[in-house]
Amino acid sequence: MNYGRELLKGSTDSLLLCLISHQPVYGYQIIKDLEKRSNGYFQFKEGTLYPALHRLEKAEFVQGKWQKLPGGQERRYYYITKKGQKALEERLAVWQDFSTAVDLIMQPVGG
Amino acid sequence: MTAKLSYLDNLKDYLRVDPATESDVVRELDAHLEDKSQELRESGFSEEEATEAAVQFLGSPQLVARQMYEVYSQGNWRQALFAALPHFLIASLFALHCWHSTTWLLAILVAVIGVVIYGWCRGKPAWLFPWLGYCLIPVLAVGTLLISLPGGWAWLATAAYVPLVLFVLVSATKQTIKRDWLFASLMLLPIPIVLGWILALGIEDGLLRYEHVYDISPWIALSFAVLAVTAATFIRIRQRWAKAGALLTAQILLLQMGALTGKYAVSFWAWVLLILLCLFLLIGPALLERKIR
Repeated sequence: MNYGRELLKGSTDSLLLCLISHQPVYGYQIIKDLEKRSNGYFQFKEGTLYPALHRLEKAEFVQGKWQKLPGGQERRYYYITKKGQKALEERLAVWQDFSTAVDLIMQPVGG
Repeated sequence: MTAKLSYLDNLKDYLRVDPATESDVVRELDAHLEDKSQELRESGFSEEEATEAAVQFLGSPQLVARQMYEVYSQGNWRQALFAALPHFLIASLFALHCWHSTTWLLAILVAVIGVVIYGWCRGKPAWLFPWLGYCLIPVLAVGTLLISLPGGWAWLATAAYVPLVLFVLVSATKQTIKRDWLFASLMLLPIPIVLGWILALGIEDGLLRYEHVYDISPWIALSFAVLAVTAATFIRIRQRWAKAGALLTAQILLLQMGALTGKYAVSFWAWVLLILLCLFLLIGPALLERKIR
């Protein structure tokens, strides 16, 4: 359980960047998308999502913009920046290498 | 008051970020709570139950506020240098023996006032507070000089000037505490140092003796260099406890320095007074903040 949490903690920024890179999203939508796309595996602690989004914004990887919906509600949509796109590409490349190396070690010998 | 409003009020109390960021965070979490409540209502919760559950899912406002603080509390190196700059200017003034030059003093005073007005209009960023502290120094220094006037004039000056100084000091501190008590402690940091040097040098006929200041100016320069390093460190550190630790360490170092200046070392009772003043200026803003909030 703790190991899973540690893995998620280390991958939070990459997961968020990946989701935001597909389309501009707002906080609540991110939680739902993460849950849906991971078949319920990633269940974000809701309160910790926003500091993570603001951390990415401060690093200039994403940019938050307020948008008013037709019903009068306001939502802060996050857009990926060029710097964020570049960081995501680098992280994906590292992740691919890491994942391949882990698979090579973890798979059963001779399997 | 609904659970949502209570949560957002609590969050605002714990958030120690600039006003624009605070507004964004509160609006964003408000929108989140609306979305979550709506989802819960659609799944059969009553309005009140939905709001309470949405608040529960979001977690402790203190934790969210602390994590937000850690996102925004660390300034970059440029901001750190800018925060250290007023202390470096004063340190250079004494290191280069320019402290008696009216031109330099006026130039620094104009720079301090200009930067303070600029920073105040730009939403009071963290680097502003060391500069703001120097706006208070002339007020205190004039007060100290007036108190040392001969005869009955000193009493007259005390009666008229000290309440005014206290009023200015408390008003400025209260304004700063509304943002964060740590900024108030950072702002007040030079006050015991300046007072300590004035006490160490001794005042004769309302004036400091040129030779005395000349003798001790390397120590004075060093003490302001310590303040500069402290201000830069304060801006670069992320955690609150470490920021408070940096201020405390600087105070201890500077008090030690005051005791090492040979014939100009302050008397035992003046030293005790300075220790109490340091503690008061470090802890006082935190206590005042609790009272205000």
